[in-house]
Amino acid sequence: MKRFIAGTLAAVVMGGGLVLAKDVNKIVVDGSTTVGPITKAFAEYYMGKRPEVNITVSESGSGNGAKSLINAACDVATMSRPMKNSEMKAAQDAGVLPIEHIVAMDGIAMVVHPGNPIEDLTIGQIRSIYTGAIRNWKDLGGPDRPIVIISRDTNSGTYECFETLVMNKQKMTDKTEYVGSNGAIRQRVMSTQGAIGYVGLAFREGVKALKVNGMEATPETVLAKTYPIARPLYMYTNGRPAQDSPLYNFVNLYDTPEGKKIVEDTGFVPLK
Amino acid sequence: MRLETRKLLDRSFTGSGILAIVLMAAALIVLLAPMFIRGAGAIVFTATVEHRRLMLERFDRGNRPQLEAEIEAARKAREPVYRMLADFEQFFATTVPETRRQYEKPFREFKKAVQTLLGPIPGAPRPMLMRDQYGQTRWDRAQVKLSRALYREEWDYSDPTRSGIMRLKPRSADFIGTPLEPLFPYLEKNIDGMLIPRRTVYWQFLTDTSFDSHFFGGIWPEILGTFYLTVGAMLFALPLGLIAAIYLTEYARETRFIEMLRTCISTLAGVPSIVFGLFGLAFFINTLKVSSSKSVLAGAMTLALMILPTVIRAAEEAIRAVPATYKEAALSLGAGRWHAVRTIILPAALPGILTGIVISMGRAAGETAPIIFTAAVSVGKPLALWQVFTQATPALSWNIYNLATEHEAVDEIRHVQYGLVLILVSLVLILNLAAIFLRARISKRLRG
Repeated sequence: MKRFIAGTLAAVVMGGGLVLAKDVNKIVVDGSTTVGPITKAFAEYYMGKRPEVNITVSESGSGNGAKSLINAACDVATMSRPMKNSEMKAAQDAGVLPIEHIVAMDGIAMVVHPGNPIEDLTIGQIRSIYTGAIRNWKDLGGPDRPIVIISRDTNSGTYECFETLVMNKQKMTDKTEYVGSNGAIRQRVMSTQGAIGYVGLAFREGVKALKVNGMEATPETVLAKTYPIARPLYMYTNGRPAQDSPLYNFVNLYDTPEGKKIVEDTGFVPLK
Repeated sequence: MRLETRKLLDRSFTGSGILAIVLMAAALIVLLAPMFIRGAGAIVFTATVEHRRLMLERFDRGNRPQLEAEIEAARKAREPVYRMLADFEQFFATTVPETRRQYEKPFREFKKAVQTLLGPIPGAPRPMLMRDQYGQTRWDRAQVKLSRALYREEWDYSDPTRSGIMRLKPRSADFIGTPLEPLFPYLEKNIDGMLIPRRTVYWQFLTDTSFDSHFFGGIWPEILGTFYLTVGAMLFALPLGLIAAIYLTEYARETRFIEMLRTCISTLAGVPSIVFGLFGLAFFINTLKVSSSKSVLAGAMTLALMILPTVIRAAEEAIRAVPATYKEAALSLGAGRWHAVRTIILPAALPGILTGIVISMGRAAGETAPIIFTAAVSVGKPLALWQVFTQATPALSWNIYNLATEHEAVDEIRHVQYGLVLILVSLVLILNLAAIFLRARISKRLRG
């Protein structure tokens, strides 16, 4: 028994010692579920080339990614929105200097059930749906069916982008159903006839993406920002990573031909 | 009460008791049977030649000459497909612009469907993502993809007042009179030859790491992560819980303070696990900084806190159940209090304590909420023992949730999710059975 307790204590102390020695071969990524597919593919690709590096990826939302970075609990915060001033300030107070890397472009796709005959909505119509002014697809020329409004939770970067680009500071209706990830929106919309939701471009499989203001979300329209709800996807690091460190190579993968191909294959739009 | 009435009541009580047990057993079967059947599908399934190619290329598994012959045979069977695709592309390049516009989208979609089914077209640059480097590895998925290649979903929106109706349109209708027309019957007829389905037992599902965020490979990182977390939680909870239980039963006087302490422990047992998770994040990671980021260590400590009340309670009950005469006899023979506890009471209480511990291990293995913020990640490597102090890990419970909700291609990898569920449920079952077995064995030894 005594030996056991001593062993446990020793393990704890040893663990503490290991924490102090910063391991360059460990990259902790936390944040956006939208950037998740890119991050996971980047991690897989990079670990395939450098097997001694362990990259862990959590998808907990952009807000949590920012919090993690501020608490120095992650090396890379993936975010689907830029860092807010309040977060920048909190980071400075904590001695963290967030450096922004834009890894890809994304459009926020408005998705509905594939059985929904609606093809096109304007920003104004989408806003009216989310404020609760339009409650039935009938009012938009569709079938007589109440609209089920699905949104991301407030922790999400996609939510914040949607709020700025579409909602124009108006409040969402109380009837809105909030879910925790892009994948969850996709599944909810796929299985609900009257549902509408918004997701990153990589999450359109099995649902119907609508045109917005008459524009379809294609790589061209997203890059040119003629698709009205396009936005960059970010990775944030604490300070500039040391040249040629694994962290440096990982966050700069997006700028290599392989990285661009990965971004494209996961369904997002690589930067030119 | 008359005797008959009493007998009748007695019998009806027995009857309802049996009924309750039968219902419970039925519910258990209804719950567990699909889990086991579907979960087994992750390990035992009909695999295509693509699966065997993957195994050969990534792990060097299987009889190389034989497999190479098989891959060659599949390639031969696919040759007409690629030839017809090339023929069509040539036709496409030389035709008038109007026809080109007509065929452009249908052809792009069809070519993509063929690539999804059979893997990349020979001669094309190697795709970056592993999911695009191989065709369908599972026969059940291959059939879904085949039907996507042969038919396209078309939604009929002709009546705007109603929801659209989905119709399957054969893609061959889009290509009548082109070099692509004979490809559709060929695909349908020769799919067996192109994919060579064969029943496979992929037991390495348990020991392989995952590839391309769970599209291929196994669940070893998750199994190992759950193991570390559970054992780690035990390492913290066991000594603390045991010491607390010994103190509470043998040393503490029944003061108001001790009574309050007991109430607190009971309350702690009822606290929702997500609260422990957030507490773990705030206390272990952000305040104590036991590790710079999420880690197995922080997760194990959080889980330990969560199961601590159960361990204390179980140990306390087990110690109390030891007949007072044992202790009195020991004390009367001149043993000190600690000596009596160590040599008499603890051994006698051991079956009860162990049962409590093993059952709480089962709980620790299955909990998701406490490890979301403290230990679990969706993608990571299997950890070596010394890495548990600093690094986070995938874990069975969390990854089931992750694959069910957050993953971008949920439908493609359902089997992995079912496999994870099977392993987790089996793990908890085995732990509980072990508890029963241990208890029986130890109490027999003590009696004998």
